[in-house]
Amino acid sequence: MLKLNKKISVFAAIAISFSVSAVAGEKDVKVKAPKVRAIDAATEYKVEKGVYAGVYKVNEQTSKIKKFGYGKKATPDEIKFNNIDVRYDWKGLPEGKGTVAEGEELYSKNCIMCHGDFGAGGKGYPVLAGGQGSLKNQLINPENGDEPPVKTIGSYWPYASTLFWYVKTGMPFPHPMSLTNDQTYAIVAYLLSLNDIQVGGEDLDDDTVLDKKKLMTVVMPNVNGFYPDVNAKNGADNMKKYLSKASNYGTQTVRCMKNCKPGKVIRIKHTLDEGIKPPLSEKRDLPKVKAGGAADNKYAKMFETNCKACHGNKAIAPVPGDKEAWAARIKQGKDTLYKHALKGFQGMPPKGGTNLPDADIKGIVDYMVSKSK
Amino acid sequence: MKQNTNNTTADRRGFLKNVAASVVAAGALVPVGLSAKDDPALMKEPEWGKKLGRPVDADPYGMPSPYEHNVERRVHELLSSGDMYASVAMCPIQDLDGIITPNGLFFSRCHGGVAIIDPNEYRLIIHGLVEKPLVLTLEQLKRYPSESRIHFIECPANGSTEWRAPQFDTLQFMKGMMSQAEWTGVKLSTLLKDVGVKPNAKWVLAEGSDDSHMGRTIPIEKIMDDAMVVWAQNGEALRPEQGYPVRLLVPGWEGNLNVKWLKRLKFGDKPWHAKEETSKYTMLTPTGKAVQFFWPMEVNSVITSPCPDKPWTDLKKGDIVEIQGLAWSGEGTIKGVDISFDGGKNWVEANLKGLVLPKAWTRFSYIYKWDGKPIVLSSRAYDDAGFVQPTITQEVSKMGVEGIYHRNAIVSWEVKANGEVHNVQVRDYEKEKKAIEKMQKGAKNA
Repeated sequence: MLKLNKKISVFAAIAISFSVSAVAGEKDVKVKAPKVRAIDAATEYKVEKGVYAGVYKVNEQTSKIKKFGYGKKATPDEIKFNNIDVRYDWKGLPEGKGTVAEGEELYSKNCIMCHGDFGAGGKGYPVLAGGQGSLKNQLINPENGDEPPVKTIGSYWPYASTLFWYVKTGMPFPHPMSLTNDQTYAIVAYLLSLNDIQVGGEDLDDDTVLDKKKLMTVVMPNVNGFYPDVNAKNGADNMKKYLSKASNYGTQTVRCMKNCKPGKVIRIKHTLDEGIKPPLSEKRDLPKVKAGGAADNKYAKMFETNCKACHGNKAIAPVPGDKEAWAARIKQGKDTLYKHALKGFQGMPPKGGTNLPDADIKGIVDYMVSKSK
Repeated sequence: MKQNTNNTTADRRGFLKNVAASVVAAGALVPVGLSAKDDPALMKEPEWGKKLGRPVDADPYGMPSPYEHNVERRVHELLSSGDMYASVAMCPIQDLDGIITPNGLFFSRCHGGVAIIDPNEYRLIIHGLVEKPLVLTLEQLKRYPSESRIHFIECPANGSTEWRAPQFDTLQFMKGMMSQAEWTGVKLSTLLKDVGVKPNAKWVLAEGSDDSHMGRTIPIEKIMDDAMVVWAQNGEALRPEQGYPVRLLVPGWEGNLNVKWLKRLKFGDKPWHAKEETSKYTMLTPTGKAVQFFWPMEVNSVITSPCPDKPWTDLKKGDIVEIQGLAWSGEGTIKGVDISFDGGKNWVEANLKGLVLPKAWTRFSYIYKWDGKPIVLSSRAYDDAGFVQPTITQEVSKMGVEGIYHRNAIVSWEVKANGEVHNVQVRDYEKEKKAIEKMQKGAKNA
């Protein structure tokens, strides 16, 4: 016992002398910056003979080989089929047309359940309209009535090209790549009209037709709201310059070692810990066996893929397992539930916006009901 | 208490039963029949020593001990966009050792769920401003000479709930939007020899093939510097959450740029301004203008032990304890880490331990004798690019509190006298407010 104690005390003495000498010997220190910076404002990797000479060794033979010759040349059709981007200068925008009214109809079928009436959001999904003039807002203290900035298509996005690209390739969220170019033009027209954005100097009416030529005239209100300018020739260098200067974004180059003044200690007032799933636990015990087996059910899988985007968010639609939300619905009887699911009901589009056969929709309804009794 | 010195196996079983019963009945710390110095766990043959274990063919793909089931990724509704498809599962970094994240715990950020891709149908198509547009199967891609690199991937929104005030009292949700692995793949500078990039190609669009078809623009200099197309993490195929079978690896840069389920690389002369580089992943400042294309993750650090999840409640006054944590920078290699015991007023140098690699998590360590009094522990990293982590007030005074992304301010833990550890912030709200108001006033109305 004695021996052990002695060991610890020697150890402790080392630790203490450590900290004392470190404090006493230090002044504020500037951290040395490299002369040559990479694109990420970082130190450049040392390269010798075309390969890394730093911590990672690379087979030098690799750098000497001019071509490997793997793969095959892409055909023009393959490129065309997959070339789905729309650049800010409109490169890649396909032909097509649609009206605001058509867009509104498509919106109420495909978008409204998440993005709300008139793009108002409110269910955890992005707000699509409004917010102009709010970008300087800073919500420092909610108790002082501070408001946050509201970043929407109209208030924030610099380019309308992104809107077309986003809708065409990423929406509707549960089944993207399902809209035609004409349908995409219609939805874009509707979203622009919700944000009071003019096309060719004119407001968008219900029957305004938006086509490629007209869309390309749209200048978004916040087009100048971003920096540095990366669109210029060698624009990436502007970002490189910005990144190299730490004071642009608050990062430091000097280490204050003594008598620094960082401020006061602020403790947590309102914790978000309660919403963590599964709840935090440091226990090392055996897990409780979870009841179920339902996950293997064919309809459970179909539900996951086709319905959960809405029916996984109780602000949008009843979530399976939420007995309270389902009680009154189950009371209406299965026929009513089938009818609503097949024909649509309130925010619910017919068949949830899918093309599944009736029998599968009914099977999914049965699954949802069985989970919720 | 009398020590039982002469027991047969049968007797011992009976004895242990009695011990268990007496512990329950009396709530006694020392079981009947054991000396106070004896640990009951060592004074019995444990159950697992008296029977066969699981056969070696029981788990063709092994899993962690069932006792570790609480070491898992976790989610929060507020960090999702309406559902668990466009959402993030946080890595339990409080439970990690060393610098490698086990694949099943690697944080998972998706914009349209986790796609399950048939590797036989996988193709990478490279086109645009190139001499020879190319299509590669997975097999062909893996024929290129491979390289393995250890790099972190961090979502730029890591710590975004903390701009205004401290809100989470767990390391998992303060810094769990990052993980680190050893990635294996081919450097793009090697692969692109077969494509022939034209001199006027300045930018690359990288696009995934999942539901979100997420695209992001990367400057050619980075592509040719250290970017890779990778197919393995920690020695096995990428996990679906990490983009199986192939993802882009852009060392040190925003997690979002490391496009998963990578399908297409297109070379162009201009940046694209995709949805995730306009509507999101841009930092709105108090002037009403936003920083766009902020690529690298800045120098950062956090103490992982102690932390709110790993407190010092078992320590006594005068105990020796190792303080350790993670430091990282997307702009270089960690040079050092300072530690403060008084909330950032005075600092001492910690020690680095283990591998110190560029654009990688680096462990730091400090052996400390705790006198049992409350302290406020902070860590501050610096890198070989010349950057030092800022205080909260230094960062907020430039960026405001609505930027969401790229928060790298110093993290502090309050250690109480009873050993509990809580997330606190050390900041000067008045100074921040003045700086923010000055920026707002100086800017034209947006």
